[in-house]
This record gives sequence, structure tokens and C-alpha cells, in this order.
Amino acid sequence: MIRLKNIKKSFGKQMVLKGIDLTVEKGEVVVILGPSGSGKTTLLRCINFLERADSGAITIGDLSVDCHRATKKEILALRRKTAMVFQHYNLFKHKTVLENVMEGLVVVQKWPVERAKERSLQILEKVGLSQQIDMYPSQLSGGQQQRVGIARALALNPEVILFDEPTSALDPELVGEVLSVIQKIAREGITMIVVTHEMGFARDISDHVVFMDNGVVVEEGKPNEIFHAPKEERTKQFLKRITPEWRYSI
Amino acid sequence: MNIDFRFIVTAFFEIMKALPLTLVITTVPLLIGFAIGIGTALIRLYKVKVIYKIADFYVSFLRGTPLILHIYIVYLGLPLLFDVLAEKWGWSIRSNSIPLIVFVFVAFSLNAGAYMSEIIRSGILAVNKGEIEAAYSIGMTTSQAMKRIVLPQALMISLPNLCNMFVGLLHGSSLAFSISLMELNGKANVVASTNWKFLESFIAAAVIYWGMTILAEKVTAILEKRLRMFIKGGVA
Repeated sequence: MIRLKNIKKSFGKQMVLKGIDLTVEKGEVVVILGPSGSGKTTLLRCINFLERADSGAITIGDLSVDCHRATKKEILALRRKTAMVFQHYNLFKHKTVLENVMEGLVVVQKWPVERAKERSLQILEKVGLSQQIDMYPSQLSGGQQQRVGIARALALNPEVILFDEPTSALDPELVGEVLSVIQKIAREGITMIVVTHEMGFARDISDHVVFMDNGVVVEEGKPNEIFHAPKEERTKQFLKRITPEWRYSI
Repeated sequence: MNIDFRFIVTAFFEIMKALPLTLVITTVPLLIGFAIGIGTALIRLYKVKVIYKIADFYVSFLRGTPLILHIYIVYLGLPLLFDVLAEKWGWSIRSNSIPLIVFVFVAFSLNAGAYMSEIIRSGILAVNKGEIEAAYSIGMTTSQAMKRIVLPQALMISLPNLCNMFVGLLHGSSLAFSISLMELNGKANVVASTNWKFLESFIAAAVIYWGMTILAEKVTAILEKRLRMFIKGGVA
């Protein structure tokens, strides 16, 4: 289980997160929605300390960390319980697909190479990249690269995978293959926190939806409630603009 | 004025005998300087307490003064320092038993280290920040990320500049003659002085330097071609 308590974060004078509380149950898929600049990516990056929150507390499983006072060791322990899929994939460019996926297992989790290779191959098969294991990231399409990113995260068997707009940098034609892989692993009961702009996808995959705006959680609930019967005016406004019901009269 | 072409050929083979020494006083400082360069670059990037000031000074001073002065200062200063230390620690040897080549190694290594630290530093800064974040996100420590992700790529990016460094140092090594080390330039002077055919002798030496430089460029081109696969293409 993951619990965020009163997470606050400012960049200079601008307060980006104004006290966020969030609970994610084991196996749950939580989707965070919100307009650009609402702080959703920052929130995600605070969870694995790519950004250090100014205050608040983060609990993942049996590990609780005070954001302000967190030591290097605590941050490392926290990062080893999480994995992240990035908007721009951020694959290790000098390593092959297989090496990208093995890297964490071998270097961080100290698996023997043979075993790490075996597991990585299994996972690459799951994301449909068995044919590409010896290629370098620059030889792959965006969709393939992102699936490597997902495999790299998945290989570590983390308590939670954080997805930071995983399809925002992709050609529209390649979005589908990535979303279907994410959906597939969501069904396997892996805890996920997903920041996305893909509304249809969000509705299909989520167990819980959080709508953020301007550094606060405006509304959260079951996807049905949020998408079909939002209570807050701001949520209604956002959903309307994002999923417009065009009516043409000729 | 006549040029004795046949003597150019004679001198060429005579001067070639000094090529091994030139290569030694080029490659050894290049390797030592490389280690110094990585260390200095990391110290300056991470702003390691106190010593980063020393590193800043080192790079600024060495890059701000000519190589010939580094040779002179080391040649004249190192014996003093050595004798003081020898006395203090009770070593049995004194500075007059230090071979000449050691001064050259020290001066060239310090010089190369300062330049290479800047090359490597810019290489490190050119590595995609996102990959460093990815390394952290899978739980790597700072040093693991540096060793496994950043440095390999930084060095690939730096490779063309490091090869230039080799060429610069190769040519710079001709200054070792100023403390009478018999490398290519020294040998050219000696060969010429036997019959006062300086021009022929220097032309021969120039051809040797040029040939080595072309060789270095060829090797660089091959390496670069192999590495282009990673650096070019791909996203972000």
C-alpha cells in the first residue's frame, strides 16, 4: 500500500503541490488527470524523489519516509520499491534492449547474470519485443522504446510502477501498442500510478481516478463517478473540454 | 639554395629511431592525464568540498600557461620539492638521479589532465539528464549511475576531442627537447647538426609527425563510425 500525506512542493515562489494526500491500495491502478501545470507529474516525481518534496510523508509498504528529512539511504530504499516509466522513455542509449532491462536486476538487485537474462527475456516477450533484444534504442520506434521502458520497470518487480505520461511523446499510431501493454500488466495486479491524457484509456484501466488542478486534488473516486457524474464544477469543465461532445447542425 | 632530397630520406630513417620515445612521452601522459582528467572533472562537477577549489585552480592555471613553461617549472621545481621531501622522509635517493623522462611525464600529464578534464566535463554534461533520472529510478546509487550510465556515454561523446588531445600532445612532445630529451624533434636537430642540413632534417621530422597524425585521425574515424550507432538517432 502506498500513502502520501500532505505533500507540498514549491519551485521558487510558485507552489506546485499544495498538500496532496493520496492512498493507493495494493494491486490498484490509480490514474491522475488534470490540466497541464496542475502538478501531476511533479507529484509522481516526488514519490521516487526525483524531486524532493518540501514537506509531507511517503509510505510504501513497510517504509515510511519524511520528505523533508529523508536521508540518502531512505531515498535509495524508496526508489528500490518503485520503478518509473518516463514520457521520453529515457532508455540507456549505449545499451541494448536486453541490457536495458537487465541493468537494474544485475546492478541494483545483484541477480546473477544468467538468471537476470532469463527473467528479462520473459518480460521482453510479454511486451512483444522478443525480436529486438539485441538492438539499440536508437534503432527502435517510439512505441518499441516505450515498451522497453515498461519492461525495464517491470523487471524489477517493484511495489508500484509510476507512469509519467507514457504516450505523450508518441506518434498517434504508436499509442495503441503501448497502452495495450500497460493494460495487460495492469490486469496482472501490479500497482500502478498513471499520469495520462488518454481519457478513454484512463477510464478503461483505472480502479481509482484522481483529478488534480492547481496543486490540489479537486476530486477523486471510481472512474464511473468521475467520468460520468463528476461533482466538482472544475472537473466537469475539464472533462468536457477534453472529451467534447461535438454536435454539428447543418 | 639547394635542397638535398636524398638527405631527407636518410634523415627520415635516422630520425625514425626516436619515434618510440616520442610515442612513449605522448601516450603515457595521455593515459595518466586521462585518469587525472576524470577525477578532476568529477570533483568539479560535484563540487567536492575544498578540493574543488584546488581543482578549479589547477585547470585554470595549467590551461592558462604554455606547455613549455610546465616543462621548465617541473624540471626546475620538482627537484627542489623532491630533495626537501627526501630529506624529511630520509629517502636514500636525491633528485639528480631522477631520469629526464620523469619530468616530461609529470609536466605532460599535468597539462593533459587539465585539458582532458574540460573535455570529459563537457562530455558528462552532454549525457541526457533523463537517463540519469532513469538510473536513479531503478534504484542506482549516484556512483553506480555515474559508472554504468554516464561515464561510458560521456567518454563516447568525448572521443573525438580526446583523439585531438593525442594529436596536440604528440606535437607538444617536441618541446621535450628543451630539456634535451632525444625525441623526434631532438633527433632532427642532432641529425641536422652533423652536416648543417637543418631544412632537410626538419622536413623529414615533419613528415613523421604528419604521418602519425594521419594515422591517429584514421583510427579516430573508425572508432567514431562504430560509436555513431548509439549517439545518432533515437529520441531525446
